[in-house]
Amino acid sequence: MSKSGFGKMRRRDVLVGMGAAAMGAGARAPSVWAQAAEPLHFVTWSAAVDQVKSHLTAFEQKTGIAVDYSNSPWANYRETLVTKFVAGAPIDVLWVSDSWLPEWADAGWLQPIDQYKDLTRYNGDVTDFCNNSMSYKGRQYGLTYYSDHMAFYYVEDMLKKAGIDTPPQSWDEVTEQALKIKQAGISEYPVMLALARETWLIEFLSAMVFSQGGRFTDEQGMAAMETGCLDALKWVVDAVNVHKIVSPGCVETGELTGLKAFSSGTHAFALEPQYRMRTINDPKQSQVGGRVKQVLMPKGAKGTHATVGWMRFYGMTAQVQKDKARAENAVKLIEWFGGKADGAYAFQKLVFLDIGAGFCTKPLYRDADIIKAYSTYGDAALVEQQAGFARKKDVVTSWFGEWNEINGQVWQEAILKKATPEEALKRSAEAWNKLKKEAS
Amino acid sequence: MIGATGIGRGARYRRRSRLQDWGHRLVLLVGSLLVLAYALGPVVWLAVSSVQDEREIVSVPPHWIPERPTLQNYRAIFFAGEKEVTYATRRKGDPSTGGYIPSTADSLLPGMWNSLKVALAVVLLNLIVGVPAAYAIAKIRFWGRSASIYFMLATRVIPDIALVVPFFLIIKKLGLIDDILSLVVTYLAVTVPFTVFVLVSYFESLPDELDKAARVDGCSRLQALLQIFLPLALPALVAVVLFAFLASWNEFLLALMFTQTPASQTLPIVVASFASDFTISFSFINAAGIVAVVPPVILALLFERYIISGLTAGAVKG
Amino acid sequence: MTGLSRSFPGAAPRAWLSRRFNYEERSAYLLLAPLVIVLGGVAVFPVLYAFYVSLFRLKLTRPGRVPFVGLDNYADLLRDPSFWTAVGRTTYFTLVSVAAILVLGLLIALLLNQAFRGRRLVGALLLVPWAIPSVANGLMWKWIYDSGYGALNGALYQLGLIDKYVIWLGDPAKTLLLVANAFVWKEVPLAAILLLVTMKSIPADLYRAATVDGANLLQRFLHITLPSLRPGVLLVVIYESMVAVRHFDLFYLLTEGGPGDATNVAAWQIYVESFRDLSFGSGSALAYLLAIVTFALSYAAIRALGSRL
Repeated sequence: MSKSGFGKMRRRDVLVGMGAAAMGAGARAPSVWAQAAEPLHFVTWSAAVDQVKSHLTAFEQKTGIAVDYSNSPWANYRETLVTKFVAGAPIDVLWVSDSWLPEWADAGWLQPIDQYKDLTRYNGDVTDFCNNSMSYKGRQYGLTYYSDHMAFYYVEDMLKKAGIDTPPQSWDEVTEQALKIKQAGISEYPVMLALARETWLIEFLSAMVFSQGGRFTDEQGMAAMETGCLDALKWVVDAVNVHKIVSPGCVETGELTGLKAFSSGTHAFALEPQYRMRTINDPKQSQVGGRVKQVLMPKGAKGTHATVGWMRFYGMTAQVQKDKARAENAVKLIEWFGGKADGAYAFQKLVFLDIGAGFCTKPLYRDADIIKAYSTYGDAALVEQQAGFARKKDVVTSWFGEWNEINGQVWQEAILKKATPEEALKRSAEAWNKLKKEAS
Repeated sequence: MIGATGIGRGARYRRRSRLQDWGHRLVLLVGSLLVLAYALGPVVWLAVSSVQDEREIVSVPPHWIPERPTLQNYRAIFFAGEKEVTYATRRKGDPSTGGYIPSTADSLLPGMWNSLKVALAVVLLNLIVGVPAAYAIAKIRFWGRSASIYFMLATRVIPDIALVVPFFLIIKKLGLIDDILSLVVTYLAVTVPFTVFVLVSYFESLPDELDKAARVDGCSRLQALLQIFLPLALPALVAVVLFAFLASWNEFLLALMFTQTPASQTLPIVVASFASDFTISFSFINAAGIVAVVPPVILALLFERYIISGLTAGAVKG
Repeated sequence: MTGLSRSFPGAAPRAWLSRRFNYEERSAYLLLAPLVIVLGGVAVFPVLYAFYVSLFRLKLTRPGRVPFVGLDNYADLLRDPSFWTAVGRTTYFTLVSVAAILVLGLLIALLLNQAFRGRRLVGALLLVPWAIPSVANGLMWKWIYDSGYGALNGALYQLGLIDKYVIWLGDPAKTLLLVANAFVWKEVPLAAILLLVTMKSIPADLYRAATVDGANLLQRFLHITLPSLRPGVLLVVIYESMVAVRHFDLFYLLTEGGPGDATNVAAWQIYVESFRDLSFGSGSALAYLLAIVTFALSYAAIRALGSRL
């Protein structure tokens, strides 16, 4: 009974596979079909899904190369991908965060792409920050998906209602104004911070640390968390526990949840990626649409308006480079997305216009559509000024992934009053130095 | 038992007894309702919130009864098909504000299909391996019999999380990662000991005389097993089949580690992949959960009697 | 044996088998062979292999360097305070869960032990939590606990028990108990059934005799039901502790060990060590320690229930 059942299953698989082949989609095709034609496997996190799909459709029509596109949540992208790499899952082209480059390159999962002239010819158009962020040990590992930095937002009318005319310049002023807003009953937790242990966490923390004039590591790459880092952590701990201007739920608030909460109008201030401005100020997607303004990152006592910048890029796996023909197709796919498609930086423009994601490609700054779009929801000059303050993360190493687990945990413990800020950062620093020693 | 009414006793006693009887019934009724609310409440809420649309599902406080019930999530799961997205048909804006139905919605059905294939194969192998062994342990006196029982006990208590790393390395070496075969093999470690325990205790309850009679008639051991005991053990076999099936269908940890693409992912893995993605609508996740819940619940309710007897035998022994 | 097989290669084992064992025993071994092979392959070998792996510093991000370190991984673990935190959390989770399962299971079993109409229906529907996949259980409770839109907040708010929405899983004081609650919900039916079966095995005569002697309901429960339930209670406690000690799914689905390290139980730590830090060596060592604990628990089970085997 079961045997004939299995026979039937196989036949149906084949039929389904053939159906998918006939549709030319191949995206959700079962194994039988995958073995027959083996499309390119393109893995991303679940952002800009429709933009990617539409650009892929155009790619498949133009080149006839089948692409199997799949995505998984950004919140635990590293865990998902690392397991897949280790297991040898079929991945050819993928989105990579600058945070993971050393780890994935050292483990041999990612391969450099600078031997492909079709890809490197775009480097001249790309900002130095992005070119640097895609490079490791002198090799280039990808082409830009997008680049961005953390920005500080406020809901203008909430501040006005509390009698505040100028937005905060420093973290002390954030505390002061938030207390006023809280006392006026406008918002229970005026400041929105998303500090869940997820992929975004390091960028939120870095932004706060940098603006306090601090850093995680020194020039020698040793842990240096005693000053600015400590100030940043102490500010959060007090904001949650003393002033109660940040919700204690911040430790379970991921970036997306936080964005939804800020968009629903329950907070007056938020630390969010610059590109979220587009969503936050879109009345169709946000209840505070049109009422949100940006201000330069608040300064710490010893700090500046510094913030963190980052970039994400298209990378290629070791697996696909082993097969020359597939590698050629992969190059075409990366060029189509990260370089030019039909002679224009089409995808970067598309995601900027649709979603607001920042680009690395200098010529786009002069694009009329882009200039116009910026002016509808943000202050382009301010964005540029803030971008000038953006610094690269100083923890991007091959042991970042492992340290990040510990660091995220100890920050949360301090926020939850399970450890003092000093103890927490001491543990983080010790873990960093130990991992650094092990790796060398 | 407690509320038994006596006949031919004093009227006063009878009245008190009737009062007690009513009180007793009330306690039973309230107790039953509480138990049902406890056991079913969460699942019912899951079902209710799977037919609310995204705007309704984020109401504060929640709408316990949906005002605009919709089957859109189920449509997406069962009748999605891959729709081509072009520049013209793309949804502008960011999926981040949620409420979108993931492109992977249509991998739920293939996931279910994988789960079914794995579960059936595991059931079959359980029977092939478990029935003869259980019979031998229950009915034959041999050197090492008690050792084999202890051996089974030992394998039964190995935590599955302790098996993940060695399995991972072995399966990788065998090239079975992302192949449902890896699940079939590893699920045997989780299911076979239980199967044998249930069957042993059932075979033991069958009289030894049957065995002797068969042997006198010239049956071999195998014949005795197949012709005499197997038909009699039908209830235990049903229980065993159900347990192996449900355990495979519901298994999460091993599938999480060994399946990487929709080619091999089972239903729980596909469902879990939605749950951590906040771009996706809450109501869609709930619908996916319901899809995973319905088949095992139907099986459990249909075969309730066998499950209870099997659970008892298996747990007491294991 | 070795001498025989040396002089008669090939035929020797068979000859030795038939000389050493009678037909009964030989057929028993043949019937057992598939089981021994399968369990040897999928359980015994992996467990031994895990021990072997735990003696190396096997890190998947450093494929080139895999030094043999002996028992260092174990020593490192025992020195690591976060290991002891995990031990504490696991113990707490287990104790709370098992106690709750026992109490609720006992109450439900007492109810189902009464004769009333609809008893079978209640008993059958009670199987629902037991039958559903743990992944559905996890995301169902995640949705119920959701601090923004969850049913728990909604219900408590409408009943006037809270005056504003409360943070649930994000509050380290509550989170382990909330995970335990989800775990208990799924495990109670099994406990209730096991206890019910034990109750049914108590001879009705005992109750009748006690009633005649004038014992009331409570006295009968304390002096007859409870003592006779001892094996069932023991069984539930041991079985559920074993399940609770190694439970992983809900921690993955609901809390990922957080917030802070509030739900960092042993099973979760094994997962992080192995699949996030990719230290298969120390992950295996940790898994081994957990396995030893469950073995110890099951040894207690065998001792306690020895007479029933």
